[in-house]
Amino acid sequence: MNELFSKIKIFYEKHKLISFGIGLALLLAIPALFPKSYIMGIIDRILLYALLAGGLNVINGYSSQFCIGYAAFYCIGAYTEAIMSLRLNFNFWILLPISGIFAATAGLLVCLPTLKLKGKYLSIVTLGFSEIIRLIALNWSGLTGGPMGLKGIPVPNFFGIKIKSSISYYYIFLGLVIIFLFATSRVIKSKIGRAWLSIREDELAARSLGVETSKYKALNFMYGAFWAGVAGAAYAPYTRYIDSTFFTLDEGFNILSMVIIGGMGTLIGPVAGSIVVNLLTELLRPISEYRMVAYAILIIVMMWLRPQGLFGASNSILSGGKIKKKEERRKKKEVVV
Amino acid sequence: MEYFLNQLVNGISQGAIYALMAISYSVVVGVTGLITFTHGEVIMIGAFASFYIFQFVGNNLILGFVASFIASWLIGMVIYYVCYNRFFESPSHISLICTIGISMLIKNLAQIYFGPNQKPMLNVIDNKVFRIGVLQISMIQIIIVITVIVLAGILSFFINKTRWGIKLRTVSQDKKAASLMGVNVSRTAMIGNCIGCGLAGISGMLISVYYQTLQATMGGSLGMKAFSSSVLGGLTDTRFSALGGLAIGIIENLGIAISSASFRDIFAFGFLILILIIRPEGFATKKGARP
Repeated sequence: MNELFSKIKIFYEKHKLISFGIGLALLLAIPALFPKSYIMGIIDRILLYALLAGGLNVINGYSSQFCIGYAAFYCIGAYTEAIMSLRLNFNFWILLPISGIFAATAGLLVCLPTLKLKGKYLSIVTLGFSEIIRLIALNWSGLTGGPMGLKGIPVPNFFGIKIKSSISYYYIFLGLVIIFLFATSRVIKSKIGRAWLSIREDELAARSLGVETSKYKALNFMYGAFWAGVAGAAYAPYTRYIDSTFFTLDEGFNILSMVIIGGMGTLIGPVAGSIVVNLLTELLRPISEYRMVAYAILIIVMMWLRPQGLFGASNSILSGGKIKKKEERRKKKEVVV
Repeated sequence: MEYFLNQLVNGISQGAIYALMAISYSVVVGVTGLITFTHGEVIMIGAFASFYIFQFVGNNLILGFVASFIASWLIGMVIYYVCYNRFFESPSHISLICTIGISMLIKNLAQIYFGPNQKPMLNVIDNKVFRIGVLQISMIQIIIVITVIVLAGILSFFINKTRWGIKLRTVSQDKKAASLMGVNVSRTAMIGNCIGCGLAGISGMLISVYYQTLQATMGGSLGMKAFSSSVLGGLTDTRFSALGGLAIGIIENLGIAISSASFRDIFAFGFLILILIIRPEGFATKKGARP
């Protein structure tokens, strides 16, 4: 098994473009393998949550901020898309970035009062913000439809083809996830991304080396919120009906558990977390009320045994200094030997 | 005007409960030095403990107090050993995530075993209404305010005058120095955490008696209110936290009088944002373990 992996790794490093092409072809062929719309629905959910968890990972994993009420930005994106397409007949493709910008603006407003404080204040503020946004969506009946929700959100149009089935949505979600992964991998390698990483490892040291921490933290939060808005905008026409019960705190905890279980601080972690958690949801369908209990236990076990998550960044502060302890132990053993 | 005055009285009695929550929150945060998200769930456990005692044993207010205190003390012990004990030295986000996990666990288990619906609290206190001029003050409100004042007095005596209180204060100021002075840090921090949780349980019982309903999901917004009010004291000072709780109670009830009752939680959030903008480090000058 290990030999196979190492062979694949060598092949990948030699022929990057070819292996990307093979991967893309495999991903594009998935709908042909599973013609049942039920399985395609699960795969769509996995991709949607991979996008959401990836966006949250930018906030939680790449800078030391800790956002809990991520569902609020998801909610803002979904309602922006629904209201604008119902009232103003805007095109779906234009509304994707517009909803993202709306969510990013909300993200800026949320993080402004807490920029100079430690990260925990931000987590409480986002927790409260999530509840407030849900309350506003529930009570502002004139705009959001109140408890009735918004019905009949128009389906997107791709050069004359109406996108309705879960197979065609698969391509939309896949495209968004690929764009997200590409954009984020570029951002992380840029000056901004390095500033984020330095803030995560030690904010004081970063500031004394001349990194404007407030500015980069705000940028980080806005970037994360932007992708939540995009995911919400893609989700609203997919279900064709939204109301405030879709965006509760539990939804935020759901996304958070994907990030924590899958791994923080890497690009592949949230995708893996989305796959694990969604498959677990399907497995636990007969006892669905124990679903959140299972996530909670998984989160605690993860924190005790592997704080950075399954595929998290193991050589960072996210791993809680365990790696260091292991190295020290090894050194001690060597000395004894 | 009459209506506003009565809302003010309601606000003071509700603010007294929030003050107790905030005091307990600042005790927990002060002793452990780490932020907790489980506070709302501890409050909920206290409310349910007293509910079942009232239902199965009898309408005895003192018994309800004891039951909610003990139940939330035990939950506090569980929380301490899962979230804090191993992680005092690690980066603080690990214990933060652990408290989120425990809070999810307690909330969802409570929804399964206690049922997801609202439950009516039994009428424990004989509800007389006294009229003073235009003011209407009910028996429940008087009992709540007296209970909170007595509990705050006991806590203050415990922290300032007894030997255990001195230990708690040393641990909250510097854990390493305390352990050098021969204080058992782990045990003392556990007891401090459990005292905070027990007080939170009593406040949960009080609020469910006051509203006469309780629900498994009631903890979320209450935990946030406890945090918002203790921000006034920099999260660790008990007196300013109590003041913040009182302020939030009054603001909330006057705000409801102006707008509608469905926006109840927005006022606490607005208060939090306001304090964070004006003076984020809190008004207290006490030096302790700032999280």
